[in-house]
Amino acid sequence: MRIDSGDTAWVLASAALVMLMTPALGFFYGGLVRRKNVLSTIMHSFFILCLISVQWVLWGYSLAFGPDKFHIIGGLEWIGLNNVGFTPNADYAPTIPHQAFMLFQMMFAVITPALISGAFAERQRFKAFVLFSLLWATFVYDPIAHWVWGAGGWLHQLGALDFAGGTVVHISSGVSALVAALVLGRRLGFGKQKVEPHDATMTVLGAALLWFGWFGFNAGSALGAGALATNAFVVTNTAAAMAALTWMTVSWWHKKQPSVIGAAAGAVAGLVAITPASGFVNVMGAIVIGFGAGVACYLAIQLRERIKVDDALDVWAVHGIGGTWGALATGLFATVAINSAAANGLFYGNPKQALIQLVAIGAAWGWSIIGTFVILKIVNLFVPLRVQEDEEVIGLDLSQHGEPAYASIHAN
Amino acid sequence: MDPTTLMAVMCSVVVFAGWLILPHSATTLKPVVVEEREPVQVSA
Repeated sequence: MRIDSGDTAWVLASAALVMLMTPALGFFYGGLVRRKNVLSTIMHSFFILCLISVQWVLWGYSLAFGPDKFHIIGGLEWIGLNNVGFTPNADYAPTIPHQAFMLFQMMFAVITPALISGAFAERQRFKAFVLFSLLWATFVYDPIAHWVWGAGGWLHQLGALDFAGGTVVHISSGVSALVAALVLGRRLGFGKQKVEPHDATMTVLGAALLWFGWFGFNAGSALGAGALATNAFVVTNTAAAMAALTWMTVSWWHKKQPSVIGAAAGAVAGLVAITPASGFVNVMGAIVIGFGAGVACYLAIQLRERIKVDDALDVWAVHGIGGTWGALATGLFATVAINSAAANGLFYGNPKQALIQLVAIGAAWGWSIIGTFVILKIVNLFVPLRVQEDEEVIGLDLSQHGEPAYASIHAN
Repeated sequence: MDPTTLMAVMCSVVVFAGWLILPHSATTLKPVVVEEREPVQVSA
């Protein structure tokens, strides 16, 4: 196998773009919390970038992509990147060094647990967060990544389509976020006092950087610099824009004003939904997917508020529901005219693909619910999940890290 | 026109029409401004 310099350059650049998404997520979330918790929220993302980078090279990559064991997990043969060198791996990416593929996948493994942190923002103890993230990456993310993307994984063999992580990244994190919010319980004063985002500008900046990084996330998943990457780039931008427009329209109709934070959240919802489909659908499909994401995720937030679940930053509504819609829509709008190596969806004459997508969605929901619940209960045996009430009142920046985000302001 | 294109056109019409016909309700309440800095003391 011969290394292609153009493909390698694109995948390495894409890995850098995806890396940027994790601190961008920190800013997206950081703007949405109260000012007494902004540093701790940003720290969640920044810390996970460090933690999972090390976990991935030590054992995470081997579990997710190593030699298949029983179609459910990778073996330990690639621990510490043993046997993961510069020669391309034909199963995954035949034109780039194996380590380039490993690095690109590392950035996906990094951002996924960081997404969950939005659910337990403003109340989780830092040590519990560290333990949870490490266990979750190992026992929830790595197996699901193997099922869907690993050579020999059972969903991969079934024919499930997930181009860049709608199932692996967004359903797993979004559903786990819902479980985490339910297990941790509501923040003090939830439903009694209004919690306003402390810096909407930070949130919009974070969303813009996420959008930028998402080009690496989706177009980079072509694992080569060519037509498929170009299609992924185009449909990613289109779906994000359409979802933002749709969210603003719905919020304008519902709340009588177009929301700026809504526009940012809508763009993220569209990016989430197009993720699994970006290598399989055309631009018309992307418009429908973006529209559906804007409506579905907005409605999911209304439902979440009505049932009084304190998923603080709406990870379930945006990533869980957006990812589920995207995974299903892949089974509806996929066409071999875009990717001849894949399959047609329902609207192109292959209803079976929609059923396969439903199986993958159900498996990801099920394993995420069970795995997250068990991990949280285990962590709670050793470290309390929540901070104490007085620590929550003064804020996590001071109580967990001893640093205020803004030197002259300590309260709220 | 294939079903996907038809759906995309319908979605686009809904969104663009929405922007044209939705009424805008301006917020009339004066926002509360919190002064976060101590006034600077200037000696004569």
